[in-house]
Amino acid sequence: MSAPLVDIAGLRFAYPGAAGPALDGLDLRVAEGEAVALVGPNGSGKSTLARLLAGLAVPDGAERATVCGHDLLDAAGRLAARRDVGVLFQDPENQLVAEDVEADVAFGLENLAWPPERIRARVEEMLAAFGLGGLRERAPHLLSGGQKQRTALAGVLAIPRRVLVLDEPTAMLDAGGRDEVLAAVRQVRAEGLATVFVTQEMREVGLADRVVALERGVAVFSGAPRELFADLGLVTRLQLGVPPAAEVVLALRRAQAPGRDREATAGEAAERLPLTLDELLAALAEAAL
Amino acid sequence: MTAHLPQAAGMRLSCRGLTVAYEEAGRPIPALSDVGFDVAPGASVALLGSTGAGKSTLLQTLKGLLEPEGGDVVLDGLAATDEGFVALRREVGLVFQRPELQLFAGSAREDVAFGPRRLGWAADEVAAAVDAALELVGLPAADFGERHPYALSGGEQRRLALAGVLAMRPRLLLLDEPFVSLDPAARRALVVVLRRLVDGGTTLLLATHDVDAAWGLCGERLVLDEGRLVAAGPWAFGAGGEEAFAGHGLEPPFLVELWRRLGRPVAEAPRSAAAAAEALR
Amino acid sequence: MRATITQYVPGRSPLHRLDPRIKVVAVTGLAVALFVRSSYGALAVFGATALVAVLISGVPARWFWRGLKPLLWLVGLTFVVQVLFARGEAFFSLGPIHLTWEGIERATFLSVRLVILVVTGALLTLTTPPVALTDALAWLTRPLRRLRVPTEELALMVTIALRFIPTLLMELDTIMRAQRARGADFAHGGIMTRARALVPVLVPLFVVSFRRADDLALAMEARCYRPGLTRTRLHPLVAGARDWLALVLVVAVIVVAMMV
Repeated sequence: MSAPLVDIAGLRFAYPGAAGPALDGLDLRVAEGEAVALVGPNGSGKSTLARLLAGLAVPDGAERATVCGHDLLDAAGRLAARRDVGVLFQDPENQLVAEDVEADVAFGLENLAWPPERIRARVEEMLAAFGLGGLRERAPHLLSGGQKQRTALAGVLAIPRRVLVLDEPTAMLDAGGRDEVLAAVRQVRAEGLATVFVTQEMREVGLADRVVALERGVAVFSGAPRELFADLGLVTRLQLGVPPAAEVVLALRRAQAPGRDREATAGEAAERLPLTLDELLAALAEAAL
Repeated sequence: MTAHLPQAAGMRLSCRGLTVAYEEAGRPIPALSDVGFDVAPGASVALLGSTGAGKSTLLQTLKGLLEPEGGDVVLDGLAATDEGFVALRREVGLVFQRPELQLFAGSAREDVAFGPRRLGWAADEVAAAVDAALELVGLPAADFGERHPYALSGGEQRRLALAGVLAMRPRLLLLDEPFVSLDPAARRALVVVLRRLVDGGTTLLLATHDVDAAWGLCGERLVLDEGRLVAAGPWAFGAGGEEAFAGHGLEPPFLVELWRRLGRPVAEAPRSAAAAAEALR
Repeated sequence: MRATITQYVPGRSPLHRLDPRIKVVAVTGLAVALFVRSSYGALAVFGATALVAVLISGVPARWFWRGLKPLLWLVGLTFVVQVLFARGEAFFSLGPIHLTWEGIERATFLSVRLVILVVTGALLTLTTPPVALTDALAWLTRPLRRLRVPTEELALMVTIALRFIPTLLMELDTIMRAQRARGADFAHGGIMTRARALVPVLVPLFVVSFRRADDLALAMEARCYRPGLTRTRLHPLVAGARDWLALVLVVAVIVVAMMV
């Protein structure tokens, strides 16, 4: 069993001048090839954690904070982490730096001073992998949201990475863009890259192997999505975006037992919130409705 | 306490043969072709279509920000050439996509007051409209009035921007993709506000690609596809549930599909999860 | 729209394909030589060179005209000033105005020289994409790094700024329309009124830009950008035989002009 790629315990971070800490003793482990979803309400520390994982911020302290073997508490370690951990941010517009798609994908490799022939080869690989060949000379402002995010992703992954962190990458996209980006992420996952996916949509949590829920800077849940979806009270507390199928079941619970959905229903773990129409129909059939 | 903006009757809206084009690199691109429809006062109508179908163009033309090449916009029976049309146009409110990008003042109250002041209202009328609008969007003036717009959360900023338009007391309210890039909690809060508006009698035209949100808030719909109007009027679902959506990049609302799969009459499909739960018990 | 902002007209002419550094050096050399040597012969040589270059570039004449238009006032002013204040025998007098042949001759000379200068400069900007230009300038000013001038970083800043100009224009357009929808009026009133009317547009633009700068800096760091480190390029500037030949030709032209 290889060492975890991300091994964090007791991570603390506060923004200067803020009322309280953003992260207050957070634990997180991610193994090779694992896909972890990071959920939680606004202000729970998800984005802060995403940045810290990539060595883009300085932690206030931790018992242990190792990412890909680099120590986040040490400046050199953080710099090294930036190389091994890629981050895709939320706003598609504010990640593209260069005059066209091809140049933007090359940006990271230029920063690492790769020889031009190696850059060219890698850029071709990335353009092909993310279906951007036809957009090679397109200027960023002429791209759709989904195309911008795919370009940004290609640029992030042009540098060979060991972990990919995604901070709500579809939050600012319409349905079409969301599908494009999620397909690209699924593709990357299929190639075995460990991913940490910050999201507030239950729909996207289903893609992960494991979910970690944050509340006020600490992890309050770590387990399979199925277990999370069975805990109706937790789903509500975390303010997750619930697909229509799950909304119907939540409404049924509230109608049948007003006030009960606030309690953790660990005992009824067999029932879980459906994500799709088919799952809902199956659940309704089971309950003989 | 729920404050009301003075209840004025919603505006009647019509279009006849509306055609709008814009230029890109010297070539005219038709954004809307021969669009015509009627909206009764107080109706809440969803404007559906995928990105690029012409929804934003239509809304901006209705507000008068874009000039049509051909056709008319008719408000309360008056056309552009009629006396009083300009005054009616001022009673049309348009909330752009991601409206929080327009916030500029030092306090919530100041920003919301911008529109009413531009209408030339007296100071006390402005103050009353501002407070009522803030109340309506769930940002009561007592708590939020003096807060700096940039200190608010994304969802609060969006509602603040909406208040800025509501304070102008529009009788026809046009919303361009109000739910885009909102976190789930903010989305729910906004739906509550929109429901209040729908119940309040303002004519509402809601452009969105979120068919489920539209189903929950609107009694009728207009469907645009590449600048053409392909459907107008109350929701109508055939036996297959597809109605006018098939081939225009839209899926029927979830609850409609659910009712169809359950073998229940599609015409009775519920508008909300709560209503569905009631019907299923 | 893009061509108007950056003045670049895409093409495959020999001029387009020249190394941008050579072009910058050539144009600078020609411009300086144009002003150093004040003979008709030199003017003719430079004029002919510019004309030939315009033809080789394949860029339609209207682009050069567009580049010239804003400076027509300067050309006109030069002409008028020279005519009015020249010395020599007047062939026509009206009150304080004395027209002399020498005056007209001088005015024509200076005006033509100015036009040749503008056209030569336009040859550079019309055939060179902005990023290539920035790369060329960064390379040429590299010695300044010894004086602690951050030439590479400045070049990157210019590239990024250029990339965001169309985005900012689109955002400006949207914000203006949104504020107009709230009753803002940008078209009427005196200077002070219009300036004040722009506040609801400029403040949001500034805020968006500052936020953008923060986000962008983070995204760049996440892709291992660090100021001060040497960066390689996807398309490095490589000067070939053709480029050196062009430079030699330009030097030859200058030498000839100096002697004529």
